[in-house]
Amino acid sequence: MTSFPVQSKKLSASIKGLPTELVLSAYEDSILVIVTQIGKMGTLLHARKEQAYGGAATFNVHVLMGKRDEPLLPACARQVIEHISNNGGSKSLVLSLGLKDHSPEALKSIVQLIIDNKIW
Amino acid sequence: MDDISTSDGEGLPLRMFSDEAHDATFHFQILKLTDQLYIWVGCNAARLGHLFAAFPTPFDRTPSLTALIGGGPDNTGASMARRLSMKTGWSIILAINLPSNSPTLEAYAERRLLQELKSLGYAKSSAGAQQINGSV
Repeated sequence: MTSFPVQSKKLSASIKGLPTELVLSAYEDSILVIVTQIGKMGTLLHARKEQAYGGAATFNVHVLMGKRDEPLLPACARQVIEHISNNGGSKSLVLSLGLKDHSPEALKSIVQLIIDNKIW
Repeated sequence: MDDISTSDGEGLPLRMFSDEAHDATFHFQILKLTDQLYIWVGCNAARLGHLFAAFPTPFDRTPSLTALIGGGPDNTGASMARRLSMKTGWSIILAINLPSNSPTLEAYAERRLLQELKSLGYAKSSAGAQQINGSV
């Protein structure tokens, strides 16, 4: 296998004592990030940057499946897509969050963990 | 930040491989989760493509199918997600980027995936194989 076209990274972490698995994949048009504490994909979010010509960027985040009553999950996706965009990327983000701990501190740590291990 | 420790341990089992067939280069990613598989199939390009989810339900023998990004029930990969879910008994999240209207490539990708799933021990190696080839 000379060069697989999709760069991937995976690691195990502990967030507030909970074992957390992280998998990142960089596709040509999207970044996929899977964060799981339950061993499943959990809530799946899609985030895109939308930019009018000469205008400011807006970010479009929606829940593809899973928890829709947890506003911190889209907030998490929003932070990550903004980071991708600030680093000059125009890729969209697919984020899967299978979490046990939905506290603001845990989500903040997760966003930090994703950014620390960025592949964009 | 506070209370994060990381280790580049084994992590989740992730299998990635490429293959050439029918004048095309196929790329596959298989990520094993708990009773779930995330699978990506790419052909010649590394775009994510359409995203489908297929789930077994107690109500029907046929798994339920949802198109999450792009695509509809007629698109390349929709029925593949369903059949993979039937074969494994697990939920399948399938990202697939194949040219449309190319049943040969689609059939090849599905056969190759099943072969891999069997060798990884994820799919039951039972009858069905014939049925799959016949129904594509």
